[in-house]
Amino acid sequence: MDRRHFIRNAAIAALSTNLPATAAYAAEPADFHIAGILAFSGAYGIIGKDMRQGVELAIADRGGKVLGKPIRVSWEDDETKPQPAVQKATRLLAGGAQMIFGAVGSASTLALQSLADQRKVPLLVTISADDKITRVNGSRYTFRTSNTLGMEIRMSLEFAKVRGLKKIYGVAADYQATRDGWTMFQTEAEKLGIAIVGIDFAPLGNRDFSVIVDKMAKSDADGIAVFVTGNDAVTFLKQSGQVGLGRTKVQFGPVLQDETLAAAVGPAAVGVYSGVRYHFSYDSPANKTFVAAYRAKYGEFPSSFAGEAYDGISWWLDVVEATKSWDRERWVDAFAASTRENSLEGRKTMRACDHQAAQVGLWGVVTEGQAPLPPLTMKITNVFEPANLFDTCS
Amino acid sequence: MSTIVIGLSLSFLLFLLAAGLTLIFGMLGVINFAHGALYMLGAYICYQIVQWTGSFWIGLALAPLVVAGLGAAMERLALKPVYDRDHVYQLLLTFGFILVIEEAVRLVWGLDYKQVPTPDLFSQPVALFGSQIPSYRLFIIVFGAVVSALLFLVIDKSRYGMVIRATSSDSDMAETLGINVSRVRTFVFALGSGLAALGGVVAAPLVPIELGMGFSVIIDCFVVVIIGGLGSIRGAIFAALLLGMARALGFTYAAEWVDLITFSLLIVTLLTRPAGLFSRKGRAA
Repeated sequence: MDRRHFIRNAAIAALSTNLPATAAYAAEPADFHIAGILAFSGAYGIIGKDMRQGVELAIADRGGKVLGKPIRVSWEDDETKPQPAVQKATRLLAGGAQMIFGAVGSASTLALQSLADQRKVPLLVTISADDKITRVNGSRYTFRTSNTLGMEIRMSLEFAKVRGLKKIYGVAADYQATRDGWTMFQTEAEKLGIAIVGIDFAPLGNRDFSVIVDKMAKSDADGIAVFVTGNDAVTFLKQSGQVGLGRTKVQFGPVLQDETLAAAVGPAAVGVYSGVRYHFSYDSPANKTFVAAYRAKYGEFPSSFAGEAYDGISWWLDVVEATKSWDRERWVDAFAASTRENSLEGRKTMRACDHQAAQVGLWGVVTEGQAPLPPLTMKITNVFEPANLFDTCS
Repeated sequence: MSTIVIGLSLSFLLFLLAAGLTLIFGMLGVINFAHGALYMLGAYICYQIVQWTGSFWIGLALAPLVVAGLGAAMERLALKPVYDRDHVYQLLLTFGFILVIEEAVRLVWGLDYKQVPTPDLFSQPVALFGSQIPSYRLFIIVFGAVVSALLFLVIDKSRYGMVIRATSSDSDMAETLGINVSRVRTFVFALGSGLAALGGVVAAPLVPIELGMGFSVIIDCFVVVIIGGLGSIRGAIFAALLLGMARALGFTYAAEWVDLITFSLLIVTLLTRPAGLFSRKGRAA
């Protein structure tokens, strides 16, 4: 090879390995690869299982394909911890994953968000509720199609107002997001003329609420605002049930109960009000179809985790399909400007300002279900409009 | 006054949780990391018995026996060969037990929450000192007091307790005197495991039954055991009362300070009485 040929070939090689990134993104891969980072063990293990079922049904509904290519999901367990979430997502992205779906816990999701921004890969969130995940001028690549804690706290406030509660005693997890939520609730409640007669911040993972329950029972509160969730919610309601607190005071909270948690509480859950992220009883054509398909496939009613996962991934894949492109930046731009008229919960609008889906808020009460419903099932009592739950942003 | 009643119930629940841990360490010199997993297993087995029979009381009677049997097998098959080795082997082994028990529970019962209802006999609260006290809490106080008295009598006052203490103090001498040391050790580990399960059963109507429940409780157990003195039943009773009351008062006046109060007690004890308030000599062998 003479010198001129060598220089020409070297130049071609150099150019071919330094093509613009967007062109590389736009190249058609063999499949549409999703990094599914969920909790299959640890505190939120059960949530991951339900979310996976929702996603798998959504993919099956579209024949397993998007943009003419098969959809492949690599499921990984983050053990409800941020570090494994990032490690496993990094490995999948190195293997060519075009997007991340997950996580469950907000701490893991926030960790994945940093990774998504660094790698310029879309991150779809369908359950983590921390308000910091979607914020004005926040992450370009992160989208949330499910509730925020902020909207759930507003629902609690709306409920207290509609219910005509006058005096409230609160208990909240001693955790920054919950403390911020309580501060917001207390400020707004007092503006409405509702007195806060007591508040206790219990350590996260607290196993004994009996003293706090005793203080609540002795107070003149007509409402008990419970700003804890998961295990703490179950523990609180089991122990408040042992003194019949719910017989004299209304117990409610932003993320206090669903069918899964109510089953863990038992009969003491009946009459407890809570925000509901998604519910199988919601009256929409899309939801009826989904619930029938889910029950046929899995033999159970979909949980809020399964419903939100199905809804979010279906919306995302439809938007990707509509772009007719493998350019990730185009997917992001399209999703940021999208509206889903036929979501399971009616209309959802992705807000370009913060990448949070504006949607209705569901609020319900635990009731005794008749077969085939679960023995303890949520009955939706209020549907709050997005205008009451989201600040305007531009 | 209601705070004191609730504090007593917290104390005796803590004692039930920690008694097995301190017993195993005191008599065998083994720090059983799997104590929390055995507590969890007790709760799950109780749940299963309640599902089959509808009776919490059958669960209370049988679940600790089942776990005690498992404990005996664990001691015979796994712990026995490592008694003469460095303590780190026992730590690693009991840590391995956690992983095995957790995985077994996940495979048998799955990931979702389970619940054991409060027994009907104690489902209604009792008006006491101007408060509605859950009658189940009163049961815990009485039951815990009975168990602690029995343990104290067995270990400190009975002939069999003397044999256990002799084995713990000098196993070679005990063997020379005709005591079957191997059998005594198996019995002690089984008893400690059964007590862990008993704690799980008693706690089952109060908390969600789930895979992580063992991890959350093991810290409390170690705090009680360290304050009371490793291996001392009397110390465990005292430490549980101290902590239970501190937590009850903490929740009454400043709930967010409860963990700080708890761990401050631990630190003060370690600084002033590093071996615990009622320490006893561990196994020399």
